[in-house]
Amino acid sequence: MPAVQETIDQVRGIDIDQYKYGFETIIEVDKAPKGLSEEIIRFISAKKQEPDWMLEWRLDAYRRWLTMEEPTWARVDYPKIDFNDYYYYAAPKNVTGPASLEDVDPELLKVYEKLGIPLREQEILAGVTTPRVAVDAVFDSVSVVTTFKKELQKAGVIFMSISEAVREHPDLIKKYLGSVVPTSDNFYATLNAAVFTDGSFVFVPKGVRCPMELSTYFRINEKNTGQFERTLIIAEEGAYVSYLEGCTAPQRDENQLHAAVVELVALDDAEIKYSTVQNWYPGDAQGKGGIYNFVTKRGDCRGHRSKISWTQVETGSAITWKYPSCILRGDDSRGEFYSIAVSNGHQQIDSGTKMIHLGKNTSSRIISKGISAGQSNNTYRGQVSVHRKADNARNFTNCDSLLIGDKCGAHTVPYIDVKNPAAKIEHEATTSKISDDQKFYVMQRGIPEEEAVALIVNGFVKDVIQQLPMEFAVEAQKLISISLEGSVG
Amino acid sequence: MNMQTTSRLTAAETALVEAFAAQIGEFPGDGAVIGTRDRLLDDLKKAGLPTRRIESWHYTDLKSLLRQVPDAAPVAAVDPVAALVDGSKIFSILQGFADPKASADGVEVTVFKNKLTDGSAAAELTAFGNDDAIGRINGSFVRDGFAISVPANTELEQALELQALHAGGQIHTRFPVSFGAASKATIIERHIAVTDGTALVSSISDIRLDDGAEVTWIIVQQQGAADTHLGQIRVKLGTQAKLRLFVVNAGGKLVRQELRIEVEGQGAELTLRGVNLLGGESHTDVTLMLGHNVPHTNSTEIIRNVVFDRANGVFQGMIRVAPDAQKTDAKMACNTLLLSDDGGFSVKPELEIFADDVICGHGATVADIDSNHLFYLMARGVPENKARAMLVNAFVAEIVEELEDEKLVEALEGIISSWLERHA
Repeated sequence: MPAVQETIDQVRGIDIDQYKYGFETIIEVDKAPKGLSEEIIRFISAKKQEPDWMLEWRLDAYRRWLTMEEPTWARVDYPKIDFNDYYYYAAPKNVTGPASLEDVDPELLKVYEKLGIPLREQEILAGVTTPRVAVDAVFDSVSVVTTFKKELQKAGVIFMSISEAVREHPDLIKKYLGSVVPTSDNFYATLNAAVFTDGSFVFVPKGVRCPMELSTYFRINEKNTGQFERTLIIAEEGAYVSYLEGCTAPQRDENQLHAAVVELVALDDAEIKYSTVQNWYPGDAQGKGGIYNFVTKRGDCRGHRSKISWTQVETGSAITWKYPSCILRGDDSRGEFYSIAVSNGHQQIDSGTKMIHLGKNTSSRIISKGISAGQSNNTYRGQVSVHRKADNARNFTNCDSLLIGDKCGAHTVPYIDVKNPAAKIEHEATTSKISDDQKFYVMQRGIPEEEAVALIVNGFVKDVIQQLPMEFAVEAQKLISISLEGSVG
Repeated sequence: MNMQTTSRLTAAETALVEAFAAQIGEFPGDGAVIGTRDRLLDDLKKAGLPTRRIESWHYTDLKSLLRQVPDAAPVAAVDPVAALVDGSKIFSILQGFADPKASADGVEVTVFKNKLTDGSAAAELTAFGNDDAIGRINGSFVRDGFAISVPANTELEQALELQALHAGGQIHTRFPVSFGAASKATIIERHIAVTDGTALVSSISDIRLDDGAEVTWIIVQQQGAADTHLGQIRVKLGTQAKLRLFVVNAGGKLVRQELRIEVEGQGAELTLRGVNLLGGESHTDVTLMLGHNVPHTNSTEIIRNVVFDRANGVFQGMIRVAPDAQKTDAKMACNTLLLSDDGGFSVKPELEIFADDVICGHGATVADIDSNHLFYLMARGVPENKARAMLVNAFVAEIVEELEDEKLVEALEGIISSWLERHA
């Protein structure tokens, strides 16, 4: 009951127009001129003090990108993007590598405080001894602070910004970067390969269980800067890592472009758990502004008995185009995808997953919960593909959509391709609204309509919330309630 | 370089264009019909056959799958076969030409050729847009068929059997059939190959149910192992109309069955059942595009597929619920038994929903026979091959039994079990 009350208070306090995280932090920014060209890429590469091979890699991607066409198959509708009207590089100026949170620019700390990041939340939550969350905060493209680095080092875990990794661990980068999402993969991934400015790099060596949850907070701050993160996570044989990614962004009028790439590699017996809470600015009540989010996320279960699990809570962005996928290459490997996608106002979400079964005895599970309200459109698009040699592949897919209001749309587009008779594939999808019976049942116990809806929605998404690390689960529930505010009645 | 590759026609496309040129003086039709034919062929020539880049052809890349096109149908002496169900009234179409003497009590019948000649069919020769290759091919080449009208308040005692027999070559037929208010009828549409000659068949059935009409429409496709069948069923359902549509595919090498159904009257009901028996090197694609356009309509769709040999199957089912279509109840299921290491099956059930007070769902499964079921039978002394056959049979028979009409069920089960005996 207290948890429900808390959610209700959150909902009451905030209107869709009053985006909670819509403040702007004033910090001096160092940025490249607008536009995209080979010069800009050379500039970014030079700024990052990258070796030549990295520059070549970027330029190669850029040249390829020039020949590619923007994909149009997704159910999203937006004015044509002028890719030359963005800043591709912006870095906060005072980055002299603070060793701990105490050394960080207080302005930044205030931002974190306003965000209520898990680090703080966990301290507040009673009964927890020392907070064990390492945060590699990406503040407008450059990692500003990396905490707990030493403890991680002791375990042999490498957790640093990708730019640092390019300089310090070129062998690993050369071996793994682009090995899951090749530079030619798709329009946005190729663009990312050309201009990515930062992101995280995680390497968990053989047999190591990462001693804490790793967490990155992305935050788009400077006006009109495209954010192009690149995240690479490698779990060697028998390693385990759980990675949390959460996002908020200040309120703006101009649309902002975001095209991240996340690559996960799990070797034999390794497990990677990747959780996302995405809460970027969705645009105002008229559908003006908001973030364009075109993300390529893919995990490669390269080793036998490896496991990759994606959990996402998508409540923000004007446009979401995102399909976290698993390539189940190793025998007995497993892929999981748990998703909650909430759209309200004029948001458009086209999201889902791909489970590519290549190895024997591979299994995958997809649980997707879409909630559309206002005038939004919410599409689940997923593929389950079982290749010829994937004996005994197993998939279970469940995607449910909930419609709140009669002006929104909910769509389901699953693609199922099976080429092996020993496979067992199940798919089910339902679309419905909250039934009057359910609402009546709750309301006749004295709970007002809006709270009743929040309660039922929380029940609807429970399966996915349970998959989130605890501190994220708390935040996710609040976010969902906030996102749906104003959609009832 | 790009320009050249896109404008270059494949062998099949060239053959179609040439076949059209060769028959240009022979096609029945007045000025308006000829104009429409030219326009549709021109569209086909410009766009080419659809590729997987066109979403509704994602799994059936017609451009690469349709290798060759046979010449126009040769005149062959073909005799009608026995009706599927005793006592049905047979309307035969031999090598694409309708029997002008065909008639049935209480039904208005015209051979479609006459409607082409006098131009009254011109408005019907339409294509739905860029993804409607079947509409374009059929509209350009159609020569004959039957236009049937069942008057209001008429109940047909006997089933009508549209019996299309093919002996190779190109065959393009059309069946505009309308059912008046509160009429009741059963129609059986059969496509049968009677020789080994390779055939390309395009056939469009344009079905309209007026208010309160109740119709059972059964399609049985038994074309030859080298044949291409491009079928399209266009349906409009009026208020309180009830359509039961059964599709059985048991033949053909390259088959595309498009079901484009618009539910346009409140209280209308659609029941779609499909059985697809796939064997050999065949590629069979059943694509449903179902629009619930008004409030208070129901539909259920169950598709069962059995895949042997090197066959590939596709089911795409898109249910679209329009913004005002509240209280829509739509349920779709697609179950596949994949029985071969070399076969494959792709499913794309799609929901596109713009109204909130609806109950819509779909389910899809693909698997081999459940080993527990097999064990259950074998533990009772049934040999494995027999047990497998029983289970496969039961898997599809379940669907057919819903027809309730005993004779019809028996006839369809006969087709299914003889097909299974040949392939299992």
